[in-house]
Amino acid sequence: MTAVLQAEGVSVTFGGLKAVDGVSFTLNAGEIVGLIGPNGAGKTTLFNALVGLQPLTSGAVRLGGETISGLKPHKVAAKGMTKTFQNAALFPDMSVLENVTTAALLRHDLKGARIKAERVLDTLGLGPIADADVQDLTFPQKALVEMARALATEPRVLLLDEVMAALTPSEMDEVMKVIRTLRDEGLALLVVEHHMRAIMALCDRLLAVNFGRLLAQGRPSEVAADPQVIEAYLGHGAAGQEGAHA
Amino acid sequence: MRTLFTPSRAALLIFFVAAALLPFFVDPRGHLLRVAAMVLLFAAMAQSWNIVGGLANQISLGHAGFFGLGAYTSTLLFLKLGISPWIGMFAGAVVAGGAAVLLSIPTFRLKGHYFALATLAFAEVLRVIANSWADFTGGPVGLSIPFMGSQPAYFAFRAVSSYYWVILGLLAAVCLAFHLLASGALGYRLRAVRENENAAEVAGVNTFRVKLIASVISAALTAICGTVFAQFTFFFDPDSIFSLAGLSVRMAMIAIVGGLGTLGGPILGALFLIPLEETANAFLSSKAAGLSQFVFGVILIAAILIQPRGLMAWWPKPRRRRAEASRPAVAAPAAKGA
Repeated sequence: MTAVLQAEGVSVTFGGLKAVDGVSFTLNAGEIVGLIGPNGAGKTTLFNALVGLQPLTSGAVRLGGETISGLKPHKVAAKGMTKTFQNAALFPDMSVLENVTTAALLRHDLKGARIKAERVLDTLGLGPIADADVQDLTFPQKALVEMARALATEPRVLLLDEVMAALTPSEMDEVMKVIRTLRDEGLALLVVEHHMRAIMALCDRLLAVNFGRLLAQGRPSEVAADPQVIEAYLGHGAAGQEGAHA
Repeated sequence: MRTLFTPSRAALLIFFVAAALLPFFVDPRGHLLRVAAMVLLFAAMAQSWNIVGGLANQISLGHAGFFGLGAYTSTLLFLKLGISPWIGMFAGAVVAGGAAVLLSIPTFRLKGHYFALATLAFAEVLRVIANSWADFTGGPVGLSIPFMGSQPAYFAFRAVSSYYWVILGLLAAVCLAFHLLASGALGYRLRAVRENENAAEVAGVNTFRVKLIASVISAALTAICGTVFAQFTFFFDPDSIFSLAGLSVRMAMIAIVGGLGTLGGPILGALFLIPLEETANAFLSSKAAGLSQFVFGVILIAAILIQPRGLMAWWPKPRRRRAEASRPAVAAPAAKGA
């Protein structure tokens, strides 16, 4: 497998706080990697650092072998990596189609962008609500539109920040089906999610972070059984008991 | 997908036809036609402002700066070099566009109030320069455009109605520019920037470039309005042409009261505010000092309180196929399992 995304010692410091601390990993085409960790572990900051919203304090990010750290987000998007926002940051005064069209303008003229946007919406089953106001949408619909907007930039790497938050289990299954299809088409996906059920079912590999540092990485079952990871989630002292179960 | 004649477009067409015919029905030398011309000019100015203030939501309080640059450029080119204001008008647009680029580099990183204050300072600086650099600008005395009778090639007419029609043409051109920008690729990107700048960047929008293009176009159009104003009034001085209250704030106010970011907003706003101000002045200025401004201010505040989204909010939305769209929105695929 070829690594499309390489993070090498990525660090982000806010004042004295190391929000992301020397994180290195690779992401391959056609792979879903889960990024797990407790609240405040630095997952969203890492995402922001990868796409260029947050300047790196040190380290480098490479996309297809090309260094992209230091580029602005729109340049990173043009090179083929984008992300979705936690709590769906859609453009509220625009329709679903307009939201997605705006992103499709990255690689198309207006006419082509509309066609592209309609196609993306259809693949995600959002065709019927293309003309709806995004304010009228349900949570799962917003999450899907957020994904559609990201996909309209035609990325090689897509970072999904809690797209399944606030979804019911059956809605989650729908979204997971979409994510798997994208993977099968060759997209590389890095997924932040709190639902462990979804993470375990979906991901080919896991990265576990806490206090900005990478604790463990590997197959989901391995990472979930890692004493450090269990401790990060359940607190000190829990690791021994959980380890005994595993 | 869209029909050619929506109610909004029909209303706009009726407005322009009625406005074009107005000089035939009122006293061609009367005060009313001059007020009507000012309504149209302020609508054009507010529409120019609307490109940056409405579409990108960058609330500028310094557009008088571009307006004055237009007036000074064309008038100085005419007075010193004999160049026709028709040409000077475009020279002024280029100067203002250049000023917009220079102003954008430091100010675009500023948001909200800070951006407004920085632009406000820009126009104030120009006012001070124009006042003190008397050798070149004429200083506080201002500049007068000599009366030449009817010289259409030099943007000089005898009849008020001629100026009126030029201004109406300008308004039509600015509205067309706004419409093309708003409905084109740049319009999508500007609205995206307005609604969520980070999300726009991540979706591939070069937010700096988009804002820069919008402010250059906005500045250039405002400068053209400045030239037309100078030709129409024959005289201006630094304090009036770079006026914060008289121009910068008024442009913003008209667009906001009419409806930010809408095509019809600046027209409605100007139709409402300019005559209101004139009427308040005519009836109240002799009663007590400041009374007319007070009444004007109260009505303005009431208008904003009653309809913060502007007068256009009362206009039936020419929105997409909403009736059809709203039903499937409830039963969309992803919600099936819910």
